[in-house]
Amino acid sequence: MSLATTSPTLTQPTATGLGRPARKPRPIAEFLSTYVFSKDHKVIGLQFLFSTLVWFLIGGLLALAVRWQIAWPWSDVPVLGKLFAQQGGQMAPEFYTMLFTMHATVMIFLVIIPILAGAFGNFLIPLMIGADDMAFPTLNMLSYWFMWPAFFAFGASFFVEGGAASSGWTSYPTLSTNVASSPGAGWGQTLWLIGLTMVGVSSMLGSVNYMTTIILMRAPGMTMFRLPMTIWAMFITAILQAFALPVLTAAGFMQLADRTLGTGFFSPEGNIVNNAMQATGGGQPLLWQHLFWFYSHPAVYIMILPAMGMVSDIMTTFARKPLFGYRPMVYSIAGIAGLGFIVWGHHMFISGMNPALGITFMVSTMMIALPSAVKTFNWLGTVWGGKIQFTTAMLFALSFVSMFIIGGLSGIFMAATPVDIFIHDTYFIVAHFHYVLFAGTAMGVWAGIYYWFPKMFGRTMNEFWGKAHFFLTFVFMNGTFFTMHILGAVGFPRRLADAYHYETFHHLQPLNAFMTWCAIGMVASQIIFAVNFFWSMFFGPVAGRNPWNANTLEWTAPSPPGHGNFDFQPVVYRGPYEYSVPGMEKDHLMQTDPPNAAALAAAGAAH
Amino acid sequence: MNASAASLPHGHADDHGHGHHGPVLQYQPGLPLTRGKLIMWLFLSTEIMFFAALLGSYVVLRFGAAVWPKPHHVHLSEPIGAFNTFVLICSSVTIVLALEMARANKPRLAKLWMVATLLLGTLFLGVKGYEYQAKFSHGIYPWSPRSRVFEKPDLYYGSAVRARLGEPAMIDRLKELDDTPEDKLTPDEVSARRRLKQVRQMVLSPDQQPFDLAVVADQVMPLPAEGTDSHGGAGGHGSHGLNDTFPWLKLPAVIPGGNMWASTYFFLTGFHAIHVLVGLIVFAILLLYNLGPKRAGMIENAGLYWHFVDLVWIFLFPLLYLF
Amino acid sequence: MGSRLSGIFWSLLFLAVPVLGVATFAIAPAIDVWLPKDVSEHGQAIDSLFYFILALTGVVFIATEVALFWFLWKYDAAKNSRPATYIHGSHTLEVVWTIVPAATLLFLAIYQMNTWADVKMRRPVMAPTVEVVARQFEWRLRYPGRDGTLGTGDDLFLVNDLHVPVDEDVLVQLKSMDVLHSFFLPNLRIKQDAVPGMKIPVWFKATETGQFDIVCAELCGWGHYKMKGRITIESREDFDRWLETMYARQEATQPEPEPAEAVAQN
Ligand code: HEA
Ligand code: HEA
Ligand code: CUA
Ligand SMILES: [Cu+2]
Repeated sequence: MSLATTSPTLTQPTATGLGRPARKPRPIAEFLSTYVFSKDHKVIGLQFLFSTLVWFLIGGLLALAVRWQIAWPWSDVPVLGKLFAQQGGQMAPEFYTMLFTMHATVMIFLVIIPILAGAFGNFLIPLMIGADDMAFPTLNMLSYWFMWPAFFAFGASFFVEGGAASSGWTSYPTLSTNVASSPGAGWGQTLWLIGLTMVGVSSMLGSVNYMTTIILMRAPGMTMFRLPMTIWAMFITAILQAFALPVLTAAGFMQLADRTLGTGFFSPEGNIVNNAMQATGGGQPLLWQHLFWFYSHPAVYIMILPAMGMVSDIMTTFARKPLFGYRPMVYSIAGIAGLGFIVWGHHMFISGMNPALGITFMVSTMMIALPSAVKTFNWLGTVWGGKIQFTTAMLFALSFVSMFIIGGLSGIFMAATPVDIFIHDTYFIVAHFHYVLFAGTAMGVWAGIYYWFPKMFGRTMNEFWGKAHFFLTFVFMNGTFFTMHILGAVGFPRRLADAYHYETFHHLQPLNAFMTWCAIGMVASQIIFAVNFFWSMFFGPVAGRNPWNANTLEWTAPSPPGHGNFDFQPVVYRGPYEYSVPGMEKDHLMQTDPPNAAALAAAGAAH
Repeated sequence: MNASAASLPHGHADDHGHGHHGPVLQYQPGLPLTRGKLIMWLFLSTEIMFFAALLGSYVVLRFGAAVWPKPHHVHLSEPIGAFNTFVLICSSVTIVLALEMARANKPRLAKLWMVATLLLGTLFLGVKGYEYQAKFSHGIYPWSPRSRVFEKPDLYYGSAVRARLGEPAMIDRLKELDDTPEDKLTPDEVSARRRLKQVRQMVLSPDQQPFDLAVVADQVMPLPAEGTDSHGGAGGHGSHGLNDTFPWLKLPAVIPGGNMWASTYFFLTGFHAIHVLVGLIVFAILLLYNLGPKRAGMIENAGLYWHFVDLVWIFLFPLLYLF
Repeated sequence: MGSRLSGIFWSLLFLAVPVLGVATFAIAPAIDVWLPKDVSEHGQAIDSLFYFILALTGVVFIATEVALFWFLWKYDAAKNSRPATYIHGSHTLEVVWTIVPAATLLFLAIYQMNTWADVKMRRPVMAPTVEVVARQFEWRLRYPGRDGTLGTGDDLFLVNDLHVPVDEDVLVQLKSMDVLHSFFLPNLRIKQDAVPGMKIPVWFKATETGQFDIVCAELCGWGHYKMKGRITIESREDFDRWLETMYARQEATQPEPEPAEAVAQN
């Protein structure tokens, strides 16, 4: 390693705020180029973060409106009812279908996907591999700016004739393709498709850029198997995006053509909607489902792998222990990604797809639990024998593991085809995906925010209020979502504005009211988070370069890092998880710490 | 895409508004590729998936369809398609030659080959446009209000023909035709006029039967029996449907599976044509530069893209024209 | 931050997950928030598979969650004076916890195939008992008339009121006129999407008489929530008598079948 000699002047944590650029009054143009049209990956990452948090709030409020209707059907909706000028504040049934459609759309396409890949991917990838920026900064900026047409399309769709899209986030034809089939199948659905395409373009630009950056711009010594799990996860997520997303884009164009041009890809011959015969046909409704899930199943892993990566890094830091089974962890991410492409049919067991095909999808779905099992056990192995520090970030990371187990295990019920006959499209499914998405990924995201906040803003968030936020969210979340499992066991159907007129379900209202109260509590608890977040940005205790005594490269840069990230040439000597190396005074060995005799001996023995 | 970064393996200082605060960093690249080339390959893999989805859908729709028209039912000409395939393959050769010339530091020759590529690509699009025109002139559109294609000679078909014949402009025109003395018409037109009269009687009589409508459909646009691919492009072929003899008639026609065929055909070739167009724009931009060795990287990337577009067509041609 | 108490508190919070989780599932049947009464032959197989997976995942759930709690409790930095174990993994363990779940899951996959085949693949050889055509937002039913064949002039047309004989194979021919719907009979453990352009067979054998819900389980527009039908399971005699009554009523009121027939035929 010839470069080794040039490096290690500044590798140790130094005084705070060193790398922060001096602040002097700037003309507007410069302000715009620094904070608005910035090509700096960190600024772009933060832009993604702020936008997605705002949408998170909107998505959460939509969820509350959904919950309100389920608990107290047809009663006046507070606040939101007036906002949308329903008849006397009471929700119309088509408004309800729109609510959950847009709740899911916002949460998935404007929150979880962009916050993971867009916010954390952008902020962390160059920092953690030792690059000064992404390979193509302009492209990177574009990937953020392509989100805005999507923001506008989805946002505007609430205000068009007939309201926003209301055929579920899955947009199954012919409900979504036939304009006569429902009020929201008009402009709302068209805008939905346009928004989706824009999110797709953004993700595509991001993912090819990430892959290029990770392949070509790692610091000297940073071999692939010295990458932190976060980067591995981002890398494989980017691959998933690049290969799955174009399929959805193609399908989206086909649906758009069905709606606006009058092609018939997804409509059979002679379909009669609203007593009017559809002019074109000859297509197949199930084709959309295949194309949609070919993307959207890999997408659920796109929505969790980065969180898994971040959680792995956070858990090692606060367990002060090397990651248990680094290579198995990497291989299992790759395994999840690979298998993820051949299981999409498990969403279609009872769709009318050939039942024999159902069997093959069932077997592959069962198998995908395997790499997840490997990950779960390795996380448990990581906390075993550690010295655990219960920081807020660690609590969120631990709860990710705890909750992912629940969400994953409920997946096994649904993977079992005969059981899925009964629980498909019931609240059992709703429980499953909120456990993996909200209780899993969103908790992972919070872990990431608390953990990297010092690097983002140079200050740490308040721990006490952080823990209060964690505790309340954790409790209310389980109150809301765990109950859904037993609702699902009754067969309580999802997407129903009012199910109590069925004999089978009429006794479930009190339970639903309980869940809604929990959901209200959960959203209310986020006030603590929002205040803590903004307050700490300006008044939190100043953090040094490495407040958590972590090992990875981003902690060698100033907090927040200046333009170009590093004030020295980072050179990597070891993997990211050398905590508690025996015979060392410090309990951590950073990736850039130059090898001395003791460290070499210790690290050599282990590898 | 950032061109300057593509040609510089390390660092890209000119991409930033401000100078670096730290040193220019050094990296350990995992592949011996420039950034531009790598990202181009990755981009192309997303494109492969895009077209894979479209082609897959085509296959599913086609083999799931109850009926699918033969190429000549929908006025698809294999020779023209083959010619276009040849054009596109030639353009892939010329772009390689342009790259070679650029590498050999012969910018003028490189430019010449680039112009050749541009022309070939334009020719391809021109032929495509001609083919589209042939479909349009037979009422085959991918979208429903304009499409004059019906699946079967059913009641809906009958009423569409009736509606067409009942349009005021059409009534005038038909009257004009009826009044034309026989010696002003070709023998072909004379016989067509007679058949048209029968059709009008059949359609406008109140007790028409589906059987009659099949006869109507056959008169409007006879579906050539298998094996007789007499058709070329727009209009110029030997079958004597009423629409062919009197192009202004524009009567609805019956082509089983025709609408779905049109949906897929225009969708697939349309997206391919958009990709061709993008390639041509890139070539046009490249022509503004001096195509020396410094630009070889860009030409190579553009060429990669172009080969990909070519490859897609190599799949499209047999799928759409030959099977 | 590092006080002993906080470690204890947080570990116990994580212990609450398996404790309350198991408690929820234990209480649920007691408060009647549980699988609805099953009145079908294959329902038993589905339910026992559900219980089997519940037990299996229950064991995994308790084991992993308790392990997590135990490690948090035991290896709290505030309590634990020993240094963290410097270990990068264990090959043996990786192999064990790959093979064991793999074997379990493979077993599960094979174990359930038979039930699936019974419900969705081994269609009884018989003429359809009834045709169900879903449409926004009702279930249109068509019984073959006295001649026992669908699509002839004497078919019986009804809406939302499905009757089937008990203890006999019933074959439903499921269609949709407009958008997707799903034919959900919670008490018979039946669910099948109705897809426009497709004719999907659904079969079951009811074991008890009674009246139950027909639920639409696939989003089909604004009225999805109210697309409700009733299924009446009755003895053969009652069923035949009911058919006769309905038939007489139809002949009295409608000289001709509704126009919906045109659609139902394709
Ligand atoms: C982040 C998102 C995410 C993740 C990670 C998963 C993970 C899994 N999902 Fe989920 N899923 C969704 C998001 C996600 N899902 C969404 C959003 C839907 C609904 C979409 C809609 O219809 O709107 C859905 C729907 C869905 C269905 C369709 C249900 C239906 O509509 O009828 C199925 C069916 O098989 C399924 C299965 C699985 C399985 C088997 C896993 C596995 O990957 C889980 C593996 C993990 C574990 C199993 C736990 C850990 C393992 C152990 C502790 C080891 C030991 C275990 C055993 C031996 C059993 N999911
Ligand atoms: C990532 C995805 C995600 C997330 C996070 C959530 C979160 C929530 N979801 Fe949802 N949901 C879906 C994805 C998600 N959901 C999907 C895919 C569907 C299926 C839709 C369909 O059928 O088509 C669905 C459907 C769905 C239903 C079923 C509707 C039906 O079928 O009839 C219900 C009902 O209870 C529900 C409830 C909730 C609740 C109470 C939350 C709560 O957890 C929400 C809590 C919200 C917050 C906690 C907001 C916090 C805000 C901040 C943190 C911002 C702070 C601000 C700043 C710092 C600026 N969701
Ligand atoms: Cu019909 Cu829902
Ligand atoms: Cu899935």
